[in-house]
Amino acid sequence: MEDFLYFFTFQDASIAFVVIGITLLGIGSAYVGTYSFLDKKALLGDAISHAVLPGICLGFILAGEKNPIYIVTGAFASGALATFLISWLRSNTKLSEDAIIASILSIFFGFGIVLLTVIQKSGNPEMAGLNQFIFGNAIAILEEDLYIYGGLALVIIIVLTMFQKEFSLLVFNPDFGKAIGYPMESIRLIFNVLMILAVVIGIQAIGVVLMAALLITPGAAARFWTDRLGSLLIIAGAFSAVSGILGTYVSFVLPQMPTGPWVVVCLSLLALISFLFAPKKGVISRLIARNGYLKKTHQDHLMKTLYKAVEEGKKFLTIEEIYQAYPHQSSKSMNSIYRLIRKGLITKNERVIILTESGKSEAKRIVRLHRLWELYLNEYMNIAPDHVHDSAEQLEHLLTPELEKLLEKRLNFPKLDPHQENIPRDTDDI
Amino acid sequence: MINQVTSPVIEVHDLTVSYDQSPVLWNVDLSLPSGKLIGILGPNGAGKSTLIKAIMGLVKPTSGYVKIFDKTLQDVRSRISYVPQRESVDWNFPASVLDVVMMGTYGKLGLFKRPGKKEKEIALGCLDQVGMMSFVNRQISELSGGQQQRVFIARALAQEADLYLMDEPFAGVDMATETAIFQLLKDMTAKGKTIVVVHHDIHSAMNYFDWIIMLNLHLVGSGPTELVMTEELLRKTYGGKLNLLTKVTELIRQKDFNPLKR
Repeated sequence: MEDFLYFFTFQDASIAFVVIGITLLGIGSAYVGTYSFLDKKALLGDAISHAVLPGICLGFILAGEKNPIYIVTGAFASGALATFLISWLRSNTKLSEDAIIASILSIFFGFGIVLLTVIQKSGNPEMAGLNQFIFGNAIAILEEDLYIYGGLALVIIIVLTMFQKEFSLLVFNPDFGKAIGYPMESIRLIFNVLMILAVVIGIQAIGVVLMAALLITPGAAARFWTDRLGSLLIIAGAFSAVSGILGTYVSFVLPQMPTGPWVVVCLSLLALISFLFAPKKGVISRLIARNGYLKKTHQDHLMKTLYKAVEEGKKFLTIEEIYQAYPHQSSKSMNSIYRLIRKGLITKNERVIILTESGKSEAKRIVRLHRLWELYLNEYMNIAPDHVHDSAEQLEHLLTPELEKLLEKRLNFPKLDPHQENIPRDTDDI
Repeated sequence: MINQVTSPVIEVHDLTVSYDQSPVLWNVDLSLPSGKLIGILGPNGAGKSTLIKAIMGLVKPTSGYVKIFDKTLQDVRSRISYVPQRESVDWNFPASVLDVVMMGTYGKLGLFKRPGKKEKEIALGCLDQVGMMSFVNRQISELSGGQQQRVFIARALAQEADLYLMDEPFAGVDMATETAIFQLLKDMTAKGKTIVVVHHDIHSAMNYFDWIIMLNLHLVGSGPTELVMTEELLRKTYGGKLNLLTKVTELIRQKDFNPLKR
């Protein structure tokens, strides 16, 4: 608890610095990553983040110490080389894209590990922190390094915001962009540069191996919540920033803990929450919607049973008769009865159940849709009368008033369905 | 039957286009009159889309050139509108109908600048013209094929161009929408706009277009509908690919280098 307060009240200026830095780079990489996620180029980010490792090592070897300028330049150069190689191989060979990306990723990463081992064998005392580039350690970032990373993150955020319309064109319809005279090749190039930059600034905090998660997961998780690009970017940025800060906090409390894996754990948790609980697209809200729909269909069927009883000349049904109509579903039937009473569609007196006036009109509507659909299947789709019931049983709950009007018109306001039963209209007496 | 016109809207001169080194269009040479509704007909893989992509500079020709309004494409870009195939974009992209139609104003707006009130007005006007006003804020993935096509046409209208190149605007569209779109295009040509449409249905082409281009890897015909729509030309267009031409294409494709490259 003490640690928690100490961390989140930012009494320590260096912690405040780290938090600002990680927030900026989280938002920056979430922005870039969301675009590449929408562009279906998620794997490219993974390839780039692995491909920067040899550049980091070379930068270190050339500088002889952990000089941020050398390391950032080296990382950027090898990331750019990998990106260039991927697009060159794609246009000049017949290899498929996934094969190219997988090979570039492993070749560069393998070479990077070789260099890392060489450095470790050299016994250079400065090399101690170099391992952090594999899994990241946000707390260990020095203040002067933070200026560079934060500054670059700010550049990414500003450029992406300024060029929002150009980058959306790039993802949605680059041919159209080219047709209206936009320099789409240059815009693609700028985007690739931003992507590499996002990886480069993130590696020390998150690490080479897991950087791809920081690029792609925020956008993928945020997609569950919105259908608008603007809010998608904001939600993705927020997810990323929150995870970044929490990951940093863990690294602060437990100094041996690498930051990257914890950021990814937080992000995955947010993604899982989105997957489960997001309104409309989440699994649970879809389950609830389906459940509600099934309840409604049972109520509709119950109304039909009551209507048919009236059709056969019975004034009412007893609860027992209804239970018998739906064997082994008595509790479901009881629930439906109470719901229908609450809606004012039926009344219950002792054991006797009667349709109310509005209940009659609703029951007629359902039966009408059922029989209209049966007739439509029979007349327009040439389906035999004894094969149309099952389809109508499903469609009667779905057909909208517009479709009902259309059906009536197409069938010329018919009187009877294919089984010679009356198609009830609202004005009919029952 | 290839009719050349004086002062053409589009002049295609000896255009050859190749994909992966094998030619998909051979020496197409044609010129098109202005103010007409023009259809490009041909079987699958005849190079119909490639022709308008080449006119729009989206694919590089192996040889030949295109002139529009007697100028190079670069000089008259703002006067041309291109409608790509509906399937060429990912409709799951997070955007509303209005967002997509606004893209039509981007050309005149230029880089950096953000679309504002004026652009929104234009876009809304165009949506009204295609009868999609009630879908302004709808997410584009929720639209039917015909509605998506109408959104694309509204976007083209928002470009306020003089020449429209449309790739299969009638594909996946129901009959009512097809008639509505056709009427809209007809009205536009009455106002002096030129519209070139890639089309797949010979039967309706007869009634729709003033001028028809028939393609099958090479140019079979180009001229007023009544002159081009002959049994002989239709047989040449749809009666299978020229055997010899296909063999030559195959020969070029099998080389390990590009023999057409100079």
